[in-house]
Amino acid sequence: MSFEKVILIPLDRIGALIGKSGKVKLKIEKICSVIIVIDSNTGEVTIRGTGKIEDMLPFKAEEVVMAVGRGFSPEKAMRLLEGENALHVIDLREFGGKSSSQIERIKARIIGEGGRVRKNMEQLSGASISVYGRTVAIIGEGNHLRTAVDAITTLSSGSTHGKVYNDLQEARRREKLEKLQLWENGNVFD
Amino acid sequence: MLSEQEAKEKWGVAHIYSSYNNTIVHITDLSGAETVAISSGGRHVNADRYESSPYAAMKSTGAVVEVAHDRGFTGLHIRVRAVGGVGARVPGPGAQAAIRALARGGFKIGRIDDVTPIPHDTTRKKGGKRGRRV
Repeated sequence: MSFEKVILIPLDRIGALIGKSGKVKLKIEKICSVIIVIDSNTGEVTIRGTGKIEDMLPFKAEEVVMAVGRGFSPEKAMRLLEGENALHVIDLREFGGKSSSQIERIKARIIGEGGRVRKNMEQLSGASISVYGRTVAIIGEGNHLRTAVDAITTLSSGSTHGKVYNDLQEARRREKLEKLQLWENGNVFD
Repeated sequence: MLSEQEAKEKWGVAHIYSSYNNTIVHITDLSGAETVAISSGGRHVNADRYESSPYAAMKSTGAVVEVAHDRGFTGLHIRVRAVGGVGARVPGPGAQAAIRALARGGFKIGRIDDVTPIPHDTTRKKGGKRGRRV
């Protein structure tokens, strides 16, 4: 009945993970019934399971800590604890190589002027997107997450914004159609 | 080393492989070489997109738990694995449900380990230089 895992997060995200007088940390500990030990000198976060195994959510806690470490605000990271939301992290070095100017350029394309592109993508896909350091992190439910990941990979590998928006709208239309068909046919799982 | 009461216990290992596309629950003996029971999400739902759902994970764990009970297992160590390598490093949505179903199934739970294969230096991600073209 033991679980232990060490995660490394950037030093400037530690404050966000702890929260005002430890509020955020306490909330994660309570909901997931884990103990979180944070080393504020090295950025090492240790997650340990406690309590009954039925209420323990060690992997969710791990995801929340990683999401906060990847630039999400604690409020948005808490979205992971509801429904089937999952976290996906994309490393931008896959697209821009090691040069920081290339990564800077790709980041600019994902965020857009005053955050316009990111906001549009969030609205069209239904996922939350955070651009931080050399990574892009996405929180969303099943299909939403997948469309958002596809959008960001195609955008970073050179597609125009117009094409990415079209793809997102197409995915949205398909989802609506599926929902309609689901209501007509009834059965979900068999 | 074993006391008399402990000798009656029979421990096994539950390997849970959880990706975004499926969940596989596999119970073996302690050596890991002898399979007791195996089941995957795809055996219990029809639509591809529900294979990784917590519901499918619960169902497949339920099937595995029954067999393990028949074979007289009383406790399980759990080894959870995500895709790893160049893929996702965090277990998918099914892992949590599978662990919960194992605990509800009346087994003693020993260690829970994350055994996702993490490379020290990665091989190239699939898709080629020009990326995935849709």
